[in-house]
Amino acid sequence: MTALPKRHTVRYNRAETRAAWICLLPSVIGLICITYIPMIASFTLSLFSWNGLGEMKYLGLDNYIRLFTRDTKFYGSLLTTLEYASLSVVGSIIYSMIIAMLLNRKVPARGFFRAVFYLPYVLPVLAVYLGWKWLFDYNHGLFNYLIKLGGGISVKFLDSSAMVTPSLALIAVWLSGNLIVIFLAGLQNVPRTYHEAAEIDGANAWQRFWRITIPCMTPIIFYNLLMSLVTNLQVITPALSLTQGGPGTGSYYMCYMLYSQAFKSHKYGYGSAVAVLLFLIIAVFTGILFATSKGWIFYEGDEKE
Amino acid sequence: MSVHTAIQKRRGRMLSKSRREKTVGILCLILLIALALMVMFPIYWIFRSSLMSNGELYAYPPAFTPPAWRFENYPETLKSFEYLKFLGNTMTILIPAVAGAVVTATMGGYAFARLRFRGQKFLFTLCVGSMLLPSMVTLIPIFLAWSRLGLVNTYWPLILPHFCGGGAFNIFLIRQFVKTVPRELDEAATIDGCGYFRILVFIIVPAIKSAMIVVGLLKFIELWNDLLQQVTYITRRDRYTLALGLNIFRGSFNDDWSSIMCATCLSFIPGIVFYLIGQKYFVEGIVMTGMKN
Repeated sequence: MTALPKRHTVRYNRAETRAAWICLLPSVIGLICITYIPMIASFTLSLFSWNGLGEMKYLGLDNYIRLFTRDTKFYGSLLTTLEYASLSVVGSIIYSMIIAMLLNRKVPARGFFRAVFYLPYVLPVLAVYLGWKWLFDYNHGLFNYLIKLGGGISVKFLDSSAMVTPSLALIAVWLSGNLIVIFLAGLQNVPRTYHEAAEIDGANAWQRFWRITIPCMTPIIFYNLLMSLVTNLQVITPALSLTQGGPGTGSYYMCYMLYSQAFKSHKYGYGSAVAVLLFLIIAVFTGILFATSKGWIFYEGDEKE
Repeated sequence: MSVHTAIQKRRGRMLSKSRREKTVGILCLILLIALALMVMFPIYWIFRSSLMSNGELYAYPPAFTPPAWRFENYPETLKSFEYLKFLGNTMTILIPAVAGAVVTATMGGYAFARLRFRGQKFLFTLCVGSMLLPSMVTLIPIFLAWSRLGLVNTYWPLILPHFCGGGAFNIFLIRQFVKTVPRELDEAATIDGCGYFRILVFIIVPAIKSAMIVVGLLKFIELWNDLLQQVTYITRRDRYTLALGLNIFRGSFNDDWSSIMCATCLSFIPGIVFYLIGQKYFVEGIVMTGMKN
């Protein structure tokens, strides 16, 4: 009873404040100790040369200068990262959108189909990569068998620097079941009345898709685009498990470069410089997405005015 | 007369339209089945390869079904692939980490959704902002800190960080759910003399149980697949997780694809079992993660 009147005053309640801080203590420790301090530490470390044991040597921007001017692998790494990210983001968004559209129709056994497309997402990813390595095998793999059956010549999927990233991106598309479920939920929220109204006005399915479905889906497309871009720019697992960065710089993704500089060559400063550049690249991409979002995202609320 | 023909014409048009819709429906179903088969085929192929000998695997043209179903491959593989041990190690990391993440994310989400205090807005911005920060950037400094503490090659670096809110995304998710719980419930409980923590435990937690399960499941998958952290911190073979064990197994059995595929299928099992148990929540949860923004 006594607490009730206090809730309505503007002043902060002491007991409430204390409860809040106790609840938030783990999160605050996390934010400080495993997010923001390490972040700053990365920036600082990138200005030094350090092997983890000896003395730290201040270099200023030398790590960055070396990356851009003398490191022969850096541009390869940058390009292959961008290639992987764009292929897998575009591929998985188109793939999952198509599947979601098909599942959004009145199909029999919908739950079963949804489970089928979602299953790859929950499989242990390392096992998935191993399995696909076998499918990609040059001599005995399924894909090369099918190619030869169709009269083509065998492709070195994982053993040529040109093909390795598209091949790995294909696995990423296959793994994108979670996007399907998000798209499906979005499609179910598109008001039926819009489609009905357009149909009466004589719009065909194609027009309805571009003029109704896509605009209504833009907020979800934005979300999926943002999240998969941030994730895929940080790709490392396939390189760690299958290709070790090769062949050449074919799968030498920036995260893998960071990893191998820091943990294989013990160049923690240099690795941190790669990390900082990766951070900047991701920041630029998210910035572009947010800046352009006003122009192409359609919010239902806008129409009601 | 003209009215009559108009009606007939119209009826004919509607009829052809519904017929066309039916055709489109069937074509879509066929496409869906074809895509589903394509998605499932790699898994089938892996399974089929695990039941064949290497000689059979290298034969040309490849057999689409195993010539002889060699289930004995599995016990054979288990002799060199310490499956149960690796699975046990993985669970030793995952169970406390997931529990820690769920509990601390729930606490954090509750505080952001319900409690008012000075600096809340600032803290929340800091929290949401960290969602967009790439986690890779913090890898090196955090590793250096753990190695300074001498805890590399223990499970602490893989468990303890998840006791710190379980990631901004999960805190945010829980917060959105707590907000859907009617405030009247809290107020009634306050009148009955409940403090903030009792409200959390007895009112909020039962109401958002499914969201908590979702956070747990997504965290589980995330950690299960986080090869990078495991590779970075665990180098001793007896501490290996399933992912590390599988990676090493492949290295030492270079061209023995039959055994490698057995080990791969064995590693699929926990994922599939886990999926069957949590399917309902998974779908719900993924939907929530997409919609609650």
